[in-house]
Amino acid sequence: VYNIPFTSVTSFILLMSSLTMVLALAAIQRGDHRRFRIWLIATGLFGAIFIAGQIYEFTEFYREGLALKTSVFGSSFFVLTGLHGAHVTVGIIWLLTLWGMSMQGRLGTADAERIEIAGLYWHFVDIVWIVIFTVIYLIP
Amino acid sequence: MTDDSTVATIEDPALPAGTETHDTHASAPGLLPGELRPHPSPFQYVMVAVILCVITALEVGTYYLPDSFPRALYITILLVLAITKFVTVVAWFMHLRTDRPIFRRFFVVGAVGAVLLYSIILATLHVFE
Repeated sequence: VYNIPFTSVTSFILLMSSLTMVLALAAIQRGDHRRFRIWLIATGLFGAIFIAGQIYEFTEFYREGLALKTSVFGSSFFVLTGLHGAHVTVGIIWLLTLWGMSMQGRLGTADAERIEIAGLYWHFVDIVWIVIFTVIYLIP
Repeated sequence: MTDDSTVATIEDPALPAGTETHDTHASAPGLLPGELRPHPSPFQYVMVAVILCVITALEVGTYYLPDSFPRALYITILLVLAITKFVTVVAWFMHLRTDRPIFRRFFVVGAVGAVLLYSIILATLHVFE
């Protein structure tokens, strides 16, 4: 039922969003607010692409007969990946809020710690997906 | 990861001159609270991302190994690759290698606890039989 090439691409995009997140932090630490906003919005965009991929995947599974109540596998799969997707969505909202604050000039170099905290959340969501991708998708 | 000997020392005015203490809140100039050393450079971040790309490609490549490939070895390879990616992100992107050792210890305790809990659940589902 899995489409491994497709999920590999979305996993790769989420992994690369961790790179853009640390580049955003590095930019604000050196006072480069323009690049900070570019990297931050890129991180949110990558997260959004990942979520769009997950919605597409869920829709395909549902069409093929796998739903939340179909089996233990269906319940485990949708709850696990769905909860992860919810956390990614929260992360995107967090990033967009920071981006908006930066646009309004309410986020300075002294606020780098706030970006670091948001980054830690984002990376944590990423490492959880590293485990899910291997355990759920690659190890049948 | 982080060497305990590199802990930044902070002078405490309440202590005799020359007495060193490890303050958990203050940081050396230019560092965020709880950090011992500066973060990696953007170039180092990109190099880490390249390594993560290579590992991901190896993971996907492993998935397409023939069915005759030993299953135990297949699972071991995938778990090793996943753990390598996990540790790389935690150490470099989450800056655990430049943070104070206490954060590393907290993280390791949490990670070991999670693995233990997951193993117990798998055991109750007879996955290892």
